[in-house]
Amino acid sequence: MNDLALTTSITRRELLRLSAVAGAAGLLASCGVSAPKKTRASVAPLPPKTGALSVANWPLYIDADVKTKGHPTVEQFQRETGTAVRYKEAIDDTETFFGTLREPLAAGKPTGWDIAVLSDWILARMIRLDYVEPLHLDAIPNFTANAAAAYKNPSYDPGSAHSIPWQAGITGIAYNPKLTGRAIDSVADLFDPAFRGKVGMFSEMLDSMCLTLLLLGVEPARATQADAKAARDKIAAQRKAGIVRNFYGQEYGDALANGDLALTIAWSGDIFQLQESNPELRFVVPKEGGILWTDTMIIPKGAANIAEAHAWMNFYYRPEIAARVTESVQYVSTVPASRAIILADAEARPAERAALQRLANSDLLYPDDASLARLHRYPGLSEDDEKAWNQMFQEATQG
Amino acid sequence: MRRKTPYLLLAPGGAWLAAFYVVPALSMLSVSLQRGSLERGYRFAWRWQTYTEVLGTHHTQFTRSLVYGVFVTALCLAIGYPLAYAIAFRGGRWKNALLFAIILPFFVSFVIRTLSWRFILADQGFVLGPLKSLGLLPHGFHVLGTPAAVIGGLVYNFLPFMVLPLYVSLEKLDHSVLDAAHDLYSNRWSAFRHVTFPLSLPGILAGSLLTFIPAAGDYINASLLGGPNTTMIGNVIQREYLTNTNYPQASALSLILMVAILAMVGLYVRLLGPEELTG
Repeated sequence: MNDLALTTSITRRELLRLSAVAGAAGLLASCGVSAPKKTRASVAPLPPKTGALSVANWPLYIDADVKTKGHPTVEQFQRETGTAVRYKEAIDDTETFFGTLREPLAAGKPTGWDIAVLSDWILARMIRLDYVEPLHLDAIPNFTANAAAAYKNPSYDPGSAHSIPWQAGITGIAYNPKLTGRAIDSVADLFDPAFRGKVGMFSEMLDSMCLTLLLLGVEPARATQADAKAARDKIAAQRKAGIVRNFYGQEYGDALANGDLALTIAWSGDIFQLQESNPELRFVVPKEGGILWTDTMIIPKGAANIAEAHAWMNFYYRPEIAARVTESVQYVSTVPASRAIILADAEARPAERAALQRLANSDLLYPDDASLARLHRYPGLSEDDEKAWNQMFQEATQG
Repeated sequence: MRRKTPYLLLAPGGAWLAAFYVVPALSMLSVSLQRGSLERGYRFAWRWQTYTEVLGTHHTQFTRSLVYGVFVTALCLAIGYPLAYAIAFRGGRWKNALLFAIILPFFVSFVIRTLSWRFILADQGFVLGPLKSLGLLPHGFHVLGTPAAVIGGLVYNFLPFMVLPLYVSLEKLDHSVLDAAHDLYSNRWSAFRHVTFPLSLPGILAGSLLTFIPAAGDYINASLLGGPNTTMIGNVIQREYLTNTNYPQASALSLILMVAILAMVGLYVRLLGPEELTG
């Protein structure tokens, strides 16, 4: 009797188990995300004002008043336009933030942000995926009037139809002359066996690959698959020979400052700030060329406050506002007129005179024409190319 | 009626597991069998080749992670067992204070604790710097970027996970059993080997599981303390998901890792004897 009862209950359990598996299989098969639609939206007139604005930016990327913990330019914008601004330092990493934007955008819902400041290399992907609102450039006359020509009409966003640069930066080489023993001026020095174990490269694929391509004499925007493979082989050889100490993210600055590295790929703004405590460090745009990159403002698709977003972009291209931001942030300003204003501020505020003059006269923030001529933009890669390059770079750099 | 009560008691825990483990695992399985890309869209296609492809590309990192996991567990056991033994048997009135001292680092974020190791192991830091200037170490010597740094960081981060279960298991040891062993002419070492150690096996098992499983999948230590040749499978998965947006590949890797760890854990439990699991 007992045995019979046992067999019946096991059979029932098995039945439950089978139906669960069948249900799960059905669930698996119904999953999948449909491809985004490729619509080319026409540029309609600006929508009416709403009085609110949400901005997502990187930390420490806008002017900050240390005492009040506020942002004076944001407050000025709020007063002048009567907009309630929600400014959040919500971006820590481009890819992670892209992940948070992708979720609602793939489902066709708004993201909650009206302006997001994203690295320029991801824009090609965002524009292809139709995640970005097209801009009404006639509502941003200050950009057309005040931005330097180098920042208009990039290859990944023809006519600047979808993005306006926030700040720019230069990728070059930083080095400590005491540890290298000589001046560094070429990308080839990063591959020099004499500096074995003391060279830093970036884990950021585009910076490392583009500098290597420039060393091989290839213009990054016109690089072919074969060129990318050659760059990959060069980087792989560099790693296998033990020349590179590590492929760094943001922390290369620490390694350079405490002597782990003699020379490394570097971003201009970081080195400018490091030079305050480590004045021996040098930054140079290599003779083969460097990279000029921008962090750009975009309006995610479905944003609620498009008129205010345009007003914000226009506001930050006023030379005096651009100067305020650059004074705090210490990256390359896209508005050349801001330099004169910073110099004027240096006279007006004697307490900060030395610091502001150092800013305005630094070729890390206001590169001279010779350096500018050697700067290249990132290539606007197609999805397949982006994947292929990532794959190649990761093969080369990770053991 | 009595037979229903256990199921009702299990219901909240079961529901939590179902919602936060079973459903995501099934979703991950589903994503791993899809084909496509971010821009062209994903389609469910029963694509089993993804599994062989990712294993082919990343088997080095995979094996490395499991090997590191084993090393970390062994080292944690070697360091943690004497520590737990000392606190349980010789702690006296300091037991609580010592336990608190072991848990104290957890008040600080995991990432910050690992970053502090970067400071400690810095090439010219306060440990290596003086040794180098005394000439005891060659000038180019560095610990950061080597497997030793990654394993060291992992041992540091997971030591409390080993010590606490061991302590619990040793603490509830009945000392009269030890006295009986001494009465039967065993010396201290023999008593340890035949009485204390076997009775602490549940603690060893729990501690090993709590250490090995997270350590094998860790990516923070490799990312902060490691170099280009110490990449772990956790780093690969993070990169595949975030940088490459290769969602099927990342999901396949996660599932393979889960299955591999389950297999190793199953083997380990078998070796120790299943009755030790419940002690």
